[in-house]
Amino acid sequence: MTVFKTFLKVLNKLKFVVIMYTVILLVFGVFNMQAGDSTSEFTASRPDILIVNGDKGSVLTENLVRYMEDNCESIDVKNDEEAVDDALFYRDADYVIYIPENYGKNVLDGQNPRIEVKSTQSAGASFAEMLLSRYIKIQNIYADEMRDEDEIINKINLSLESNVKAELTSQLDSGGLSRATLYYNFASYSLLAGAIYVICLILSSFNEEKIKKRITVSSMNYKKHNSILMLSNGVFAVSLWLFYVLLSFIFIGKVMFSFQGLIYIINSFLFAICALTIAFFIGSLVNNKNAVNGIVNVFALGSSFLCGAFVPIEWLPQSIVNAAHVLPAYWYIQNNELTKTIEVFDFNTLKPILVNMGVLVLFCAAFILFSNICARRKRKIA
Amino acid sequence: MDNKYVIEVKGLTKEYNNLRAVDNLSFEVKKGEILGLLGPNGSGKSTTINCILSLLKFSSGSIKIFGEEMSPDAYDIKRNIGVIFQEVAVFEELTVYENIDYFCGLYIKDKATRKKCIDDAIKLAGLGEFKKFYPKQLSGGLLRRLNIACGIAHKPSLIFLDEPTVAVDPQSRNNILDGIKKLRDEGATICYTTHYMEEAELLCDRIIILDKGKIIAQGSADELKELASIEEKVTVEINNLKPEIIEAVKSAENVDTADYIGNTLVITYKKGQNNFGALIDFMSREGVVYNKIFSERPTLNDVFLELTGKELRD
Amino acid sequence: MFLHNFKYTFKIIFRNKMLVFWTFAFPIVLGTLFKMAFSNIESSEKLNLIDIAVVDNQSFKDNEILKEAFDTLGDEKDSERIFDIVYVSEDKAEELLESEDISGYLLMDGDEPKIVVKQNGINETIFQYVTEEIIQTGNTVNTLAEEEIAAEVAAGNFSPDYKNIYLSALERVQDNEVSLKDVSNKNLSYTMIEFYTLIAMTCLYGGIIGMCAVNNNLPNMGDKGKRTAVTPVSKGKVLISSLLAGYIIQLIGLSILFVYTIFVLKVDYGDNLALIIVLALAGSLAGLSLGIAVAALIKSNENTKTGVLIGITMFCCFLSGMMGITMKYIVDKNMPFLGKINPAAMITDGFYSLYYYDTYDRYFVNVAALLVFSLVMLLLSVRGLRRQKYDSI
Repeated sequence: MTVFKTFLKVLNKLKFVVIMYTVILLVFGVFNMQAGDSTSEFTASRPDILIVNGDKGSVLTENLVRYMEDNCESIDVKNDEEAVDDALFYRDADYVIYIPENYGKNVLDGQNPRIEVKSTQSAGASFAEMLLSRYIKIQNIYADEMRDEDEIINKINLSLESNVKAELTSQLDSGGLSRATLYYNFASYSLLAGAIYVICLILSSFNEEKIKKRITVSSMNYKKHNSILMLSNGVFAVSLWLFYVLLSFIFIGKVMFSFQGLIYIINSFLFAICALTIAFFIGSLVNNKNAVNGIVNVFALGSSFLCGAFVPIEWLPQSIVNAAHVLPAYWYIQNNELTKTIEVFDFNTLKPILVNMGVLVLFCAAFILFSNICARRKRKIA
Repeated sequence: MDNKYVIEVKGLTKEYNNLRAVDNLSFEVKKGEILGLLGPNGSGKSTTINCILSLLKFSSGSIKIFGEEMSPDAYDIKRNIGVIFQEVAVFEELTVYENIDYFCGLYIKDKATRKKCIDDAIKLAGLGEFKKFYPKQLSGGLLRRLNIACGIAHKPSLIFLDEPTVAVDPQSRNNILDGIKKLRDEGATICYTTHYMEEAELLCDRIIILDKGKIIAQGSADELKELASIEEKVTVEINNLKPEIIEAVKSAENVDTADYIGNTLVITYKKGQNNFGALIDFMSREGVVYNKIFSERPTLNDVFLELTGKELRD
Repeated sequence: MFLHNFKYTFKIIFRNKMLVFWTFAFPIVLGTLFKMAFSNIESSEKLNLIDIAVVDNQSFKDNEILKEAFDTLGDEKDSERIFDIVYVSEDKAEELLESEDISGYLLMDGDEPKIVVKQNGINETIFQYVTEEIIQTGNTVNTLAEEEIAAEVAAGNFSPDYKNIYLSALERVQDNEVSLKDVSNKNLSYTMIEFYTLIAMTCLYGGIIGMCAVNNNLPNMGDKGKRTAVTPVSKGKVLISSLLAGYIIQLIGLSILFVYTIFVLKVDYGDNLALIIVLALAGSLAGLSLGIAVAALIKSNENTKTGVLIGITMFCCFLSGMMGITMKYIVDKNMPFLGKINPAAMITDGFYSLYYYDTYDRYFVNVAALLVFSLVMLLLSVRGLRRQKYDSI
């Protein structure tokens, strides 16, 4: 108990770091929840567009606007050019359409007024441009032909009527699941950075030469002392994990109560244990607190960037993804991504997930082995 | 300028949230002397020094150094002061030589003069072989010596040493004490705090004993010993001493206390003459066989403990 | 004295491995990670070839319009094509869809076209849309041609040239010119923000150097400070020369990072070199003063202070988009005041406005904000720094 109490006291000194990484996760979670689709853009089916309408009041223009808004997500920004430019740069909007003054009237007069656009050149932007071009083409044809505004609108709408049936085979709540995946992917950073940093610092406090000597000469069995220390660290890592899981229920809600939710939870538990063993390993290698700080930051950020915690993994270059196989976070994130797409739970669909979990367990074993080897080496030298 | 006193402290009082660390303290340090500030931990020695150096605010009192009021920007005064703090304050990133050069450079601009000063300081502290070492590579004693070298390299005429020998092995301690004497011989005035009595006895011309922020005694080592109520201490090693004999010793003339612990009898005497001879006569009369007997004058340590009491500090 | 202290501050800082790591090496490591992680993002957001299947049944073969249109859209000789098409049986198409080898498939059920997709994504939407467009174009041509024929008949021509009428209708639909002009800024590479946050981080980490300078020179911070305080030099002088040395070291670190990011990582900071330098100078100053403020205001040991400074830096960088660029936009859009008090955001936004905007208003607002931030930090710490005597040390 004494060891555990001391552990808690040292932990209390480090609470700032834990709070920081948690706040980062929290902020991420909150924004992710509020922003809804826009952060999980890579699954969005419709492009985000922004229409700056300089021809308010024209029925013909209204029809164009309505058509674009029906087929795209229309976003809302402050009414100034800078806000529009920002929206485009940060991909809040894929495509911006500036409708000039008197556009409707000029079309009716048989002109082909120029429309200015801004585009991110993304797939969404290309699609928005397809929609716009197509509408204008049809509009031009009918505007050539007839003069009556209502009739033109009628004809245009008739021509654009959808007549292709679409069938969706997947029944998943893809929005909720992508959010959960994003959250848990990001949590890998907080777990790694928070757990490793704190545990390494605690270990280095206990391992400091003078303190180590004192512990060695105390009446407590060295091995027992060590195992209690490890256990305390385990309790810390598990509490951190539990806390992050609780947060996920708050942020993500009902998806977490499904079978997929269970997989996210089990998967993150394995990863937390893995983070713990990595922390032991690093702790057994380095004692210098400043060095720990550097290593943790490089390792946690590196693994998060390379394995897709910050950047969706399908956007990473293949060579990086291949290299990332050596990092535990890769297998953890792979599982989150797989969970997102699973519909039927049977052995076949669960198999890859179980395999990835197995790899995580192997990583844990390997790190425990490595840290034991290192610790033994060190004791012999000392 | 009155050249007689290098430091004049009058009515110095320093309070930390209702705790009086220094209480209406007044004393002077004469030119060319080594003054010892003695006292148990927490008696206000370091606080007094920090006040003299204008690092700490104090509630009341005045401090003059070289006859002038001390203040944080009294640079002319500071130029002639050297301070060795209790803690080793050196840069981990600089070598022994560079550390001394850095601190010395804050006093002496001219490079050639500085180089000479640094070499002298290195010689004084016996750091010649370690010039290129980093502090991390030095032992505790060597670090202390570096600490001192950093403080005195600029050849100050007034030196404060705040417990410079804490946790130092006897060899280094001798080196340090010799060095301090040498500085005095070269004309420096030294203000030295310690709680090692032997050091103070060996080194100081004058000693001030502080307790709870007040001066409780001052004078030379011999003068202080006079203050002790005991005059002589006799230790006798005897096996199986009978209780009635102890009683007889206790009631003898001039005897203050007589304690028989293990096989050692310790007798202390108040003033008086020929106490030792009387004891030996008494014992041969009674036929007491003793292994060893010796008499000693009370040490400063005895005086110190008598004056400050024996309860634990801190 | 000034030079003496300046020189030694240089030595002390350069020999401090921790300082060198955080201010020199760490940003370069991180920048390299960014490059590795982000090199593909912008090309992958572009419209890539969409893999689809067409069920090769009789109904499809009978539909001339669709058949010809898909032939053109999937023409492998055309580098502008949208689709990679395989023509397979319905079972095979289902299988391909299940294994996500294709985004979806087209099934003609008599005259009724049906699109089958697994999920809703942009590729699926485009597939559906293009199919619709083919059919709609067919309808439009029909409508136009029928109207033309009706007109001819009304005009008394009972044997119109059907073929020609259809062809000219088709021509009208296809060769109809759409007048669009792309006026978007050419600099749209949003991953640049990551590298800007990296510069911001380096500027703020420079605060550690400022903190060290303060710690080494103030008596209430440590023993070395006490030692300096009893020397016959004014504290202001020592402090300023130490801070100046720190600032210059910061700028050296920053220059190395600039060189590395520009020449190795190919980061684009815009064309205005002078303004880039001004921003870097202001950013470093903000970092330095943040470090001074942390050193002067937080009463704790050096390790805790370093931890606090690194924590603040990481959090500021997080808010300015380091761990997800969208974060910066969300903050800018919803809580603009946060961007005005977060030095990392000011630096990032400053570079962003140089890169993206042609006007300099926003840039100068950021530079001014950085200077104000530095001033506030220095004013906050000045009380602690100017004190000559202490209540306790």
